[in-house]
Amino acid sequence: MNVNREHRGQMAAMSMPALVFTVAMIAFPIIYTIWMSFQTYSSTGQVIGWGGDNYSRMVADDRFWNGIWVTIYLYVLSLVMQLVLGTGLALLLFRARRLPGIMRSLFISPFMMPPVVAGMMWLVILDPSLGAANWILTSLGLPPSSWLASPAIVVPVLAMIDTWQWTPYVALIVLGGLQSLPPSVYEAAEIDGAPRHKVFWRITLPLLLPTLVTAMVLRSVDLLRFFDLIYITTQGGPSDRSMTLNIYGFRIGFEFFQLGYASALMITLSIMVLGAVIALNRLRAAVEW
Amino acid sequence: MTTRPSDSRWLDGLNLVLLVLAGVIVMTPTAWMVLSSFKPSYEVTAYPPTLVFQPTLENYATLNSQTPFLRYTMNSLIVTVGSTLFGLLLGAPAAFVASWTRITWPAVVTLMARMAPGTLFLLPWYVMFRQVDMIGSYTALILTHAVITLPVVIWVLLPYFDNIPRSIYEAAQVDGCSPFRIFRRIALPLVSSGLAVSAILAFVFSWNFFLFALVLSNSQTKTLIAASFNFIGEGSTNWGGLMAAATIIALPPLILAAVVQRWLISGLTLGAVKG
Repeated sequence: MNVNREHRGQMAAMSMPALVFTVAMIAFPIIYTIWMSFQTYSSTGQVIGWGGDNYSRMVADDRFWNGIWVTIYLYVLSLVMQLVLGTGLALLLFRARRLPGIMRSLFISPFMMPPVVAGMMWLVILDPSLGAANWILTSLGLPPSSWLASPAIVVPVLAMIDTWQWTPYVALIVLGGLQSLPPSVYEAAEIDGAPRHKVFWRITLPLLLPTLVTAMVLRSVDLLRFFDLIYITTQGGPSDRSMTLNIYGFRIGFEFFQLGYASALMITLSIMVLGAVIALNRLRAAVEW
Repeated sequence: MTTRPSDSRWLDGLNLVLLVLAGVIVMTPTAWMVLSSFKPSYEVTAYPPTLVFQPTLENYATLNSQTPFLRYTMNSLIVTVGSTLFGLLLGAPAAFVASWTRITWPAVVTLMARMAPGTLFLLPWYVMFRQVDMIGSYTALILTHAVITLPVVIWVLLPYFDNIPRSIYEAAQVDGCSPFRIFRRIALPLVSSGLAVSAILAFVFSWNFFLFALVLSNSQTKTLIAASFNFIGEGSTNWGGLMAAATIIALPPLILAAVVQRWLISGLTLGAVKG
């Protein structure tokens, strides 16, 4: 296209504010954090050196490795539950075909509310002494649980709350995938008289894989950075059992103001997220049809 | 399939039952929150919990009298509306140019904000804003929340701009229309529904965002969501107030989500999934 100089200038003027903002508020801060992660601070916050101190401290820090473990445990548990339940829910919605608007709003409601609100409401429901959850358990003759206050099950409980919130989101993504599958493949299977479960495992699921991987990417990015819900409910406790890398880095940074060490932790977490996104994108390319 | 019609009807029934069950699981916790917010204070913590009670607005009144709730709400509105407008102002022309020139790498850079943990940005921002003495200011809150809204605006609008036939631009250019005029007079009116969707999603994302205001606001500029902590502190004695606060915070996103539900999934996945 033949764009003259004035046109080109106007195009630049239109994209420049967003570009300047992106550089100033997103790109530059990332570089600044990388730089801070290589700075050594004194106990009073003065820069006293430059090098890999923060990273060598990290590798020797038990709470860092605990953070890695909690992050991965919470990530894998939540992702598996949300994919399995989300696919199931999508199949139910797909079979029902017509979905009343009110039903759609209902399924949207958990993931549109702030995670902070979800945390407030589950805190009350799961209260160990007066919560409704333990009342249901004891009415059924089961022993009460201390839920978020229990070191042993705090991660599964957090995964459960996140699964309550995000399963409908995964379901709506998978439903979009189901609706875009060509009907001809089902018709062919029907003519062949293939049994229902075989149609699912041999036809529907393989065709759905790219959609499922997309859902995995979107959830992975959020789950590896799991923050709001934990900060509102447990703040990493009891005894560090829900201290994800993100929560740990935040507390190091803004409760102890060790900016250099917090930067190193956040750079490490970002590399984990980036690694997961790259790996899943490779996977998506492999299952694309 | 190999199933007989009666068999299929039985399965349809089972399908419906499971779907209703899923609906109940999804709805119950939220319903419990709303119900609790209308319970008289002595009944919120009753054990076993009560289901039948005399509804009252007492918790909402207490919330208003014991916390600067209106002030928090105003702060939330200032930051959310400000960052949404800022995101639209910068994002709409940028998305137009990205769509026209097919240069999308700057848009990809904004996605870094969706991938890196918020704390990674907070650390340098904290240093930067402290340097210019802007911690606790509305400006700092609006600018940082615009980091949330800008990618939403750009990525929601991109496919809308892509859908405009290029022949329209070319014809306008032949007629001597400048790019700026094409954007304002031709492209923008054609993507008005996209603008509405992106504005609503940006509003919801900004409203729901917790981390930045947690560190960058002060007692004067604290947003509703950053104040949640105060409510939880009070909540150990006052569950009714806590649930009333949670209900009010959840209300704007839930109402707006119901409005845009048809476009929600493609918007939430930033174009990765067509809804």
